[in-house]
Amino acid sequence: MPELIKYLLLLVCLGFGIVSASSDYSEQLLLRPLHPSSLLASFNFQSNASWESFEQQNFRYFPRSLGQILQFANTRELHLRFSLGRWDAENWGARPWGGAREGGTGVELWAWVEADTDEEADGRWLTLTNALSGLFCASLNFIDSTRTTRPVMSFQPSNDHSNATLANLHLLHGTLPREVVCTENLTPFLKLLPCKGKAGISSLLDGHKLFDASWQSMSIDVRPICPEGPGDCQIQITQTIDMVLDIQRSKRPRDNPIPRPVPEHELRCDTTKPYHSGDTCYPLDIAQDENWSMTEIFGHAMKGSCPLTDEGATPVCINVPHARNVFTSGGAVEHKDESGFMRCFELAAEQDFEIVLPSQDLPERAPLEQPLLYAERSFTGYGQERGGVEAILTNPSTTEAVDFVYMESLPWFMKVYLHTLKAKINGVDGDVIQEMYYRPAQDRKRGTQLEVRMRIPQNSTVVLSYDFEKAILRYTEYPPDANRGFDIAAAVITIGNVSIRTTSLLLSLPTPDFSMPYNVIILTSTVMALAFGMVFNLLVRRFVGADEAEQWDIRAIRLRLLAQLKTILRRFKKEQKVAKTE
Amino acid sequence: MALLSSGVLLKRDPRLLKLPPYLSFLCIAVGIAWLLLLPLNDYSRRTYISENALLPGQVHTYFAGSDQHVFRGFKHEVDALEGKSNTEVNDKLEEFFKAAGLKVARQKFEYKSAGEVYQGENIYAILHAPRGDATEAIVLVGAWKNVEEEFNRSGVALVLTLARYFKRWSLWSKDIIFLVTPDSRAGPQAWVDAYHDTQSSPAIQPLPLKSGALQGAVVIDYPFNHRFESLHIVYDGINGQLPNLDLFNTVVSIASGQMGIGVTLQRMWNHKDDYKERLQTMLRGMLKQGLGHASGPHSSFIPYHVDAITLQPYGEGWQDEMAMGRVIESTFRSLNNLLEHLHQSFFFYLLMHSGRFVSIGTYLPSAMLVAINFTIMAIYLWVKSGTPISKSTKVASTMGEKSTPLELVKEGDAIAILPEEITGVRERELFLPLAVVAGTQFLGVLPLYIFNHTTHSMLSIVFGIFTILNTVLPYFISKSIIEYFGPTTQQYQLIKSFSLLLLGMFLSSLATLNFSLAFLVGLFAAPLTYIQPLPGRPILVTVLSLLINVLAPTAVILAGVFAWELNLGEVLKEAAFGWDIWGMNTQVVVWCVWWPAWLVGNILLYGKARDESSATKAVK
Repeated sequence: MPELIKYLLLLVCLGFGIVSASSDYSEQLLLRPLHPSSLLASFNFQSNASWESFEQQNFRYFPRSLGQILQFANTRELHLRFSLGRWDAENWGARPWGGAREGGTGVELWAWVEADTDEEADGRWLTLTNALSGLFCASLNFIDSTRTTRPVMSFQPSNDHSNATLANLHLLHGTLPREVVCTENLTPFLKLLPCKGKAGISSLLDGHKLFDASWQSMSIDVRPICPEGPGDCQIQITQTIDMVLDIQRSKRPRDNPIPRPVPEHELRCDTTKPYHSGDTCYPLDIAQDENWSMTEIFGHAMKGSCPLTDEGATPVCINVPHARNVFTSGGAVEHKDESGFMRCFELAAEQDFEIVLPSQDLPERAPLEQPLLYAERSFTGYGQERGGVEAILTNPSTTEAVDFVYMESLPWFMKVYLHTLKAKINGVDGDVIQEMYYRPAQDRKRGTQLEVRMRIPQNSTVVLSYDFEKAILRYTEYPPDANRGFDIAAAVITIGNVSIRTTSLLLSLPTPDFSMPYNVIILTSTVMALAFGMVFNLLVRRFVGADEAEQWDIRAIRLRLLAQLKTILRRFKKEQKVAKTE
Repeated sequence: MALLSSGVLLKRDPRLLKLPPYLSFLCIAVGIAWLLLLPLNDYSRRTYISENALLPGQVHTYFAGSDQHVFRGFKHEVDALEGKSNTEVNDKLEEFFKAAGLKVARQKFEYKSAGEVYQGENIYAILHAPRGDATEAIVLVGAWKNVEEEFNRSGVALVLTLARYFKRWSLWSKDIIFLVTPDSRAGPQAWVDAYHDTQSSPAIQPLPLKSGALQGAVVIDYPFNHRFESLHIVYDGINGQLPNLDLFNTVVSIASGQMGIGVTLQRMWNHKDDYKERLQTMLRGMLKQGLGHASGPHSSFIPYHVDAITLQPYGEGWQDEMAMGRVIESTFRSLNNLLEHLHQSFFFYLLMHSGRFVSIGTYLPSAMLVAINFTIMAIYLWVKSGTPISKSTKVASTMGEKSTPLELVKEGDAIAILPEEITGVRERELFLPLAVVAGTQFLGVLPLYIFNHTTHSMLSIVFGIFTILNTVLPYFISKSIIEYFGPTTQQYQLIKSFSLLLLGMFLSSLATLNFSLAFLVGLFAAPLTYIQPLPGRPILVTVLSLLINVLAPTAVILAGVFAWELNLGEVLKEAAFGWDIWGMNTQVVVWCVWWPAWLVGNILLYGKARDESSATKAVK
C-alpha cells in the first residue's frame, strides 16, 4: 500500500511536472546600465499552453480575452508592438532582443491569418484589428486597407506551423505611426499577465515611470512552438516591456519633478580651472557612473516574486561587471555567471526585493554589443509639391558584409517616383540592390509597399534615396491638426533574426487654410460671379447705341406681332403638310 | 445692362479717353496717402496671439540660481577662445556639448562670391526629445560672430549653458538643436541648405546628423559683457519674407509681459508710439524688406518656412544674462507646446511698434494702386494707339452729322448701323515696339550678370562705368531707332504701352510676395508713366532727362550709398553675396524689371516720331 501511494504520488508529481512543462510561466527582468546615465530595463513574461487546451478554450496562463480573439479571427501568429521614443544605437549599442521585440513609433501589428482567399483574410484581419483595438485601448481599428501591406521578404512565420496551415496563411502588416502610446495601453497589457502587476517583476511597472522613459517598447507575440516535433505543439505567448530610463530624471521625487538649479554647494565643479571661485563654475561631466537603487528608479521595491513561476527561477538579472558592488535586500541569492558581467538573483517568496548600486569608481564597463547596422532616415527638400527620402545605412563591421531587407510602407498621398530610387555606396553609385519588391499605391485604396534586399560591404555607408510627389487631399481627408503634418511609418530593416526600425517622419502636405474657408469661399464666389457675369454679357449680348436700337412705337409693335403671327401660321401649315404626307 | 451697352459707346468718348492719365496719377497719390494712413490707430491693429497652443509666458522659468555660476564658467571658457581659429573653437565647443550629453556634429562649408571665398565650419548639437521620435525640432542659434562681425561672447556662452539646462528637462516634445556658426551670413545658410539637402555645391558638406522638421529657430546675438536694458527683435528674412507673427508676438509677450524687458524693433531704440515714430518704424521695416538681404542668422531659415527671429539685447540696464536665458527658456517652452507648425497668424504684415501691426489686407492696396497706375496707362495707350486719327473733335455719337461715315454691322440676323469710328481699329505696327521692349528686357540680364560675376575689387569701377554708360546709352539707342526705323507716334505709344504693361504686371505680382520692394520700385518708376517723346522742346527734354537720370536705378543706388554713408564696393559685394548665397532676388527686380522700364522711358524721352500723315491708314 505505501508503495502504491508512493507510486501514485510520483505519478501525480510527474503528471504535474508534465502539466507545468506544457503550461509553464516564467518572467525575467534584466537591468543593464547604459552610457550615459541611463538604465535599460527589459521585462520578459512568457508562458506556453498546449495546443489542445488552447483549442478547447481551456485557458490557464494564456489570457482568455486574447485567446478568444485569435480563435475567432483564425489568427495563427500575432505580433503587436507599442513603441515610443528612439533607440540611441550610438551610445546604447545593439537593441534588446536583437530588435525582434520592438516596433516603429506608435503601434505596429502583423499577423498570420489562416484563410482560403485574400478577401477572407482581409475580413479576418479587419475582425482582428477591431477586436484588438477594444482590448488594448488603441486605435488599431484605423488600420484599414490603406495602412495594410502584405510584406513579401521582411517577415517570416514561425517554423512550427503545420504544413496544412502554412499553405493558407496570409501575412498582414499594419502600422499606426501617429498613435501615442500611453497608460491606457499599459493597463490592458498588465491584465494579460498572470500576476497582473501585483507581484513579481510586473509590480515594478508603473505608468509614470514607463512613459517617462527615453525609449520604451511593449510587445506581445503569440506563436506556435513544437519543441518535441510536430506531434506535440504548444502556443506560446511572450510579452515584453523594454525601457530606457534616464537615471537622473527617474531619481527625482514624484512630488517635485521640476529640475530646479541645484543649490550652489551641490554643484559639481571643476576646481582645477583657474577662474573657479564661489560664483564661477565649470560644470563637471554629468555622464558619470550613477548610483541608484530600484526604489529610486521604479518608485518602490519589487513586491516579491510571482508565485506562478518555477522554483529556482532567477527573475532579476543585472548586467554589470562582477567588480561592481551590488547590494540586495535579504533573502535573495546571487548567481554570477562566467562571462564576468552578468549576475542573477533568486528571490525569497513574499518578501520585497531591493537592489542598490552605490557610487563606485569603476573603469570597467559591461561590453556593449555593436549593432549590425546603423540606420537613419530623413526627408530632403522643401516646399509643398515634392520631397525626397534619404536613408543612410552604415555597416560598422570592419570584416563582414551585411545582407538585409529594407521595407517601407508609405501612405498613398506620398507618391513615390520609383525611377529616382538610387543607392549610393560611399558616395558613388553602386550596385547594392539585389532584389526589389514594389507594389504601387492606389489613391485612397492602398499605400505604397517597397521592399529592397541589399548587401552592404564591410565598413561602408549606403545612401538610399528616392523622390516623391505630395498629393493634394480632399478637404475632408485632413485630420483636425492638419498643419502638424502626416506621420510616415518607420522603415523596417530585417537582417535575419535581427530587425531595426528607423524613426518615423513627419510629412507636411499642402494644407488649405482651414481657419477661413468661409471668407475665401464667399470672396472667390463673389469675384467669380462678377467676372462671369461680365464675360457672359459681353459674349452673349449685342451692344448697339441707344439711338440705333429698335424703336418701340406702335408701328414697331404691330409689325413685330404680325411677324410672329406669320411664323406661327407657317409652322401650322407645315404641320398640316406633314400630316397629309403621312 | 443699359449701362454696359452705353459703356461701349463711352469707350470711344474722347472725354473718357482723356481720363486715364489723371486716373493713374490718382492711383499713385492714393497709394502713397494710403501708406501714410496706416500708422493711425484706425488702420493698424494691436497684435495678438493667434495660436492658442503657444501660451506665452504661462510657465514659470527656472533658469537662475546656480546655473548662473555655470554660465560664468562657460563665459570664461568662451572668452578664452576669442581670436582662436574656427577649428580650435569647434574642438572646444564639441567638448562642451558632449559633456552635456548631446550628440554633436560638424559641417564644413565654402562659398565663393565676388571673387572672395567664405568658408568655415558649423558645429551643432542635438538634444533628443526625451520621448520623441525625431519628427520635429526647434533650433537655438548662437553665431560666433554676429552680423556686425562682433564676437558674440555672451550669446555663445548662453547657448552652452542653456544646452546643459535644457538637457535636464524631460518635457521636450521636439528635439532641440544648438547651432554655433562661425559667422552670421554664410554659416547659417550652409547649415539650413544642408539640413534640407538643397546645398548648391559639394563644397558644402551634408549634415551627418539630422532631426525632424524644423518648427522654429531663435538666434541669440549678445556680443557684450555687461547687463542690458531692452531687447531688440530682428525678424526680416531673405527676400522680404517674414516669420509668422505669432513667433514675434510670443517673444514680445514673454519679454515685456513675463520678464518686464522692453522690446524694440527696427533699431528704434526709444519708441514713443506716436504717429511719427510708428511711420518711421514702418518705413524702416519696409526698406529692409525691400532690400531683401539677410538681417541676421535667422534670415536664412525663413525661406524654408522655418519661422525664426534674432534677439539682440542692447543698452545699459539691470537685466542680466540669466534674464535673457529665461526669455529663451520661456520661448522654447511655448514653441514646445506647438501641436502644429506655426500657421495661425500672419505671414504678411508691417510692424510699426512691438504691439501694433497692419496686415496684408490693409496695406496691399497701396502697392497695388501704384502698380495699377502702370496697367491703366498701358491699356489706355493700347486703346489710343488703335483709334483712327479723326479730324473731328466733337462727340461722334450724334447721328445727324452727315460727315461721319457709317458702317453696316451684321451679326447673325441682326443688323446695326454704326459710325465707323466706333468699329474702326487702326492697324497696329507691332514689330518694332515688341522688339524694343523685348530687347530692353533681355538687356537687363547684362547688368545682372556683370554685377554678380565681377570680383570685389572691380565692382566699384564696373559700377562707375555702367553708370556713365547708363546715362548716355538711352540717347544713342533712341537716336539709332529714329535713324534706322523711324517709328511713328503709334509705335512710340505701343513701346510705352508694352513697357508699362510689363512693369504693372511684374509689380502687382511682386506686391503679393514682397510688398515693400514692389512699392519702392513702383514709386521710383512712377514718373515713367508720363514720359513721352517731346520733339522740338529741347529744354523740357533736358529737364526731364535730368529728373529721369536722378531716378535711374544706378543713381538711386548711389544716393542710398551716400545717404547711409556706406561703401559702394561693400554694397555691391553684399548684393553679389546675396545673389550667390542667399538666393536673394532683389537684383533681378532691379535689373530685369525696373531698369528695362527706365531704359524704355528714357528712350521715349529722346524719341521723335516720323511724320505720320503719309503712313497712317485707317482700316475697316
